[in-house]
Amino acid sequence: MEQHNRFWRIALLALPLAVFGLFVVWPLFSSFYYSFTNWNGFDANYSFVGFDNFAKITTDRLFMQAAINTTLWMVAAIVLPTALGLMLALLLDSRVTGARVFKSIFYLPICLSAVIVGQIWTWIYQPDWGLLNTLVTQATGEKFKYAWLAKPDSALWSVIVAWSWQQTGLSMVIYLAGLTAIPGDLLEVCEIEGASPWQRFRRVVLPLLAPSTVVVVALSVINSLKGFDILYIMTGGGPFNSSDTLAMHMYNESFKKYLMGYGSAISVVLFLIALAIIGLYFRQLRKVDRIYG
Amino acid sequence: MAQLQLSDLRKSFGPVRVIKGLDLDIADGEFVVFVGPSGCGKSTTLRMIAGLEDVTSGAIRLDGSEVTRTRPADRGIAMVFQSYALFPHMTVADNIAFGLHLQRVDRATIAARVRDVAETLQLTPLLARYPRELSGGQRQRVAIGRAIIRNPKVFLFDEPLSNLDAALRVQMRLEIARLHQRLGATMVYVTHDQVEAMTLADRIVVFNDGRIEQVGTPMDLYEHPANRFVAGFIGAPSMNFLPVRADAGRVEVPGMAPMPLPAGKQGATELGVRPEHLALAAGTDADIAGEIELIERLGAETYAYVRVPGLPADLTLRLPGDSAHTPGTRVALQIDWTRAKWFDATGQVL
Amino acid sequence: MADTRPQPRFNPWPAAIFTILCVLAVLFLLPTVGVLLSSVKTTREISMGELWSLPASLYLGNFAEVLGNPAVHQYFLNTLLVTLPATAVSIALGVMAGYVFAKLPFPGSNLLFLVIVAGMFFPPQVILVPLFRLFNGLGLIDTLWPVIIVHSALGLPICVLMMRNFFATVPNALREAAIMEGASEWQVLTRVILPLSLPALAVLATLQFTWIWNDFLWPLIFTQSDSKRTIMIGIVNLKGQYSVAWGVQGALSLVASLPTLLVFLFFQRFFIKGMTMGAVKG
Repeated sequence: MEQHNRFWRIALLALPLAVFGLFVVWPLFSSFYYSFTNWNGFDANYSFVGFDNFAKITTDRLFMQAAINTTLWMVAAIVLPTALGLMLALLLDSRVTGARVFKSIFYLPICLSAVIVGQIWTWIYQPDWGLLNTLVTQATGEKFKYAWLAKPDSALWSVIVAWSWQQTGLSMVIYLAGLTAIPGDLLEVCEIEGASPWQRFRRVVLPLLAPSTVVVVALSVINSLKGFDILYIMTGGGPFNSSDTLAMHMYNESFKKYLMGYGSAISVVLFLIALAIIGLYFRQLRKVDRIYG
Repeated sequence: MAQLQLSDLRKSFGPVRVIKGLDLDIADGEFVVFVGPSGCGKSTTLRMIAGLEDVTSGAIRLDGSEVTRTRPADRGIAMVFQSYALFPHMTVADNIAFGLHLQRVDRATIAARVRDVAETLQLTPLLARYPRELSGGQRQRVAIGRAIIRNPKVFLFDEPLSNLDAALRVQMRLEIARLHQRLGATMVYVTHDQVEAMTLADRIVVFNDGRIEQVGTPMDLYEHPANRFVAGFIGAPSMNFLPVRADAGRVEVPGMAPMPLPAGKQGATELGVRPEHLALAAGTDADIAGEIELIERLGAETYAYVRVPGLPADLTLRLPGDSAHTPGTRVALQIDWTRAKWFDATGQVL
Repeated sequence: MADTRPQPRFNPWPAAIFTILCVLAVLFLLPTVGVLLSSVKTTREISMGELWSLPASLYLGNFAEVLGNPAVHQYFLNTLLVTLPATAVSIALGVMAGYVFAKLPFPGSNLLFLVIVAGMFFPPQVILVPLFRLFNGLGLIDTLWPVIIVHSALGLPICVLMMRNFFATVPNALREAAIMEGASEWQVLTRVILPLSLPALAVLATLQFTWIWNDFLWPLIFTQSDSKRTIMIGIVNLKGQYSVAWGVQGALSLVASLPTLLVFLFFQRFFIKGMTMGAVKG
């Protein structure tokens, strides 16, 4: 039996592992290698430059800008979709009429491409006839023509709002799944013990949603690290790099300036940040598992 | 029809030895039941016979030819699983015929044999149903149907009745007994329920901690257990164990007057008496006295749990169903000394 | 609970919640509705600030323009040529590896499983440069191959995760019963386990299809000529051609999203389930 199992293990795992190894694991390690070179993407000749690329990172003003933006993006990503998603989930969990339709509406954006989402929101922010300015114009009675995406002050936040619009549905369904998993008898205990709705939420529901929160927060953070497509469409990282993120910066350095060695160094930093977050996530998940298993 | 032989069978999972050397001969057409507490190795042994679990060392022989490393399907063995293991996406007919389909038996033959099997198991009206639409007993019969259609040499049952309710369990027990009578096939049956073991088995194999404690017919094990483990495991409620001190031809039992030690019982440390071998007695005949602490009424019979000063545990006593005793009553008990067992410090019967 | 009380009092909460949800739903729908509206309006209407009002008449010229554009046909074809094989391959690989992790575990298999699943969380930018160099060396840049291959590989973590978790719910006894009946491992997989896994396969198919169809990064990196671009890149490319033809852009967005919208509408249950399963079990 064991012999038979061994054969099938190898037969079934060979192809998936080969694909994963060749196109995911190996490139990952290659990235480390390239981050120590000055490869430009085309020349067969390139040289080993040691830690030069990493030294450059510390003095790269644009990298710092991108790092700050990525951090802002992460914080906003934790707060906005998580809070909004939780609120929607709680509202929908009360078995309101049409809950299924509402759920679909809030969830719909997630199935749209970042390209489409970017385009939709570009129109909302459009200075001449965009929805936002139209509304402001109607409210104030004065012609309002603010170019949301073209101003360094507002570009990043405008994209973050668009991105939150897309992500909220995801945290909503995760919270909804968490809510349905709360045993009904626990809520009945609250009823019998005379807890107010707020007490019930604060002392029972919210703590029991801890596993969902861990998942939502981790996903938001990880997705925000990946933030690229929607920025590329809406601002391209501009104006004046005011909405650059690390992923965007990495792309620009590698594929616009053809500094692939330097781009790899940025991606290594990105990888290390992701690794730290995943580590935290799994640790937190295990802690949560011990209580809620 | 087959004769099954296990020789010095051993199994380890890494450093953990779960089966520590089994020798067992099962005769053609015999119904053998493996019993023992959970984790004793009875299921692992059954799975080794099936070929689902590798044998670490030792041999399994079927009709004299070794099958220790043979693929499960080539051993000519059928197995009925505890969970029935019916394929939920197949109808009853497809479930029963699964093995024949795999062997590419032609459709007409399959249909005919499925009809036969369904007939014997009263499954004919259910052939087009899916497992989800069946009751527990019907699922059990489908699982048996899948086993018998291939005319296997040996049937293996892995706790097949444990998922059924009490009434159905009795009914299916009878059906399995009838099946054995009709097919006359060799059957190996694993259970932790000793009533199933007693009623079904030609011979019972008592497992404990990866070893065989004793092999024998049901009455043999009941009357002549080889050791304290078998004595305690066979029979319900369990045998009462009383600590004794045997010394220079005399024996002291807490709560009893000292008495002469019967011949051949030197070194006894424990006395075993079954609940049915304790009787109420009038003053002078009594061996031991105590106070009834609890009464359990089962209808046909009643169990009384008697607190005796000096004994570590209550004595279980079997009384007639209409017994009028109530908790708190003081009773005097007489032991049927001809059926009492004496155990030495290693647990062996003296 | 409330409805078992003898005298039910008037409860304002359901009505209030319903109202709040309606307002939020409108806010959430507005952006999408905007695109919908733009697609049936003329460029003139839109630039005069008429985009956000209900249209007086349906103008279908935008759709005619989009559907008549041969470049759009090419983009669509390319996207299909990437999405269908990559979806199928990633799921097939996920089934194979997931089966081993669930039913044929070995020492260290859990660690291997975790390593693969962790791949889901890494920013794809990390492997951008080496992959570009690899496919460049193979002469595959500006073909659809790298896009297909990378999507198959990057889909593995989620596919392995979901298939393993699903297979783990299938009782081992089913596999053993099939083996006792003479089934080979391949027959166990194809005749017993896979037919039972249709829901999980549907979940994965919808997820993978949507993600690959919507992807922007990989075709951007690996393709250059217009004839190899996928629809999401195509939208960006056509922005130049239809620079102020907002209505055409709107129609194009709708057409490009149509396959995923249809998948979403018809398989929403699977889709949501997949998102939560993938997220929660990760």
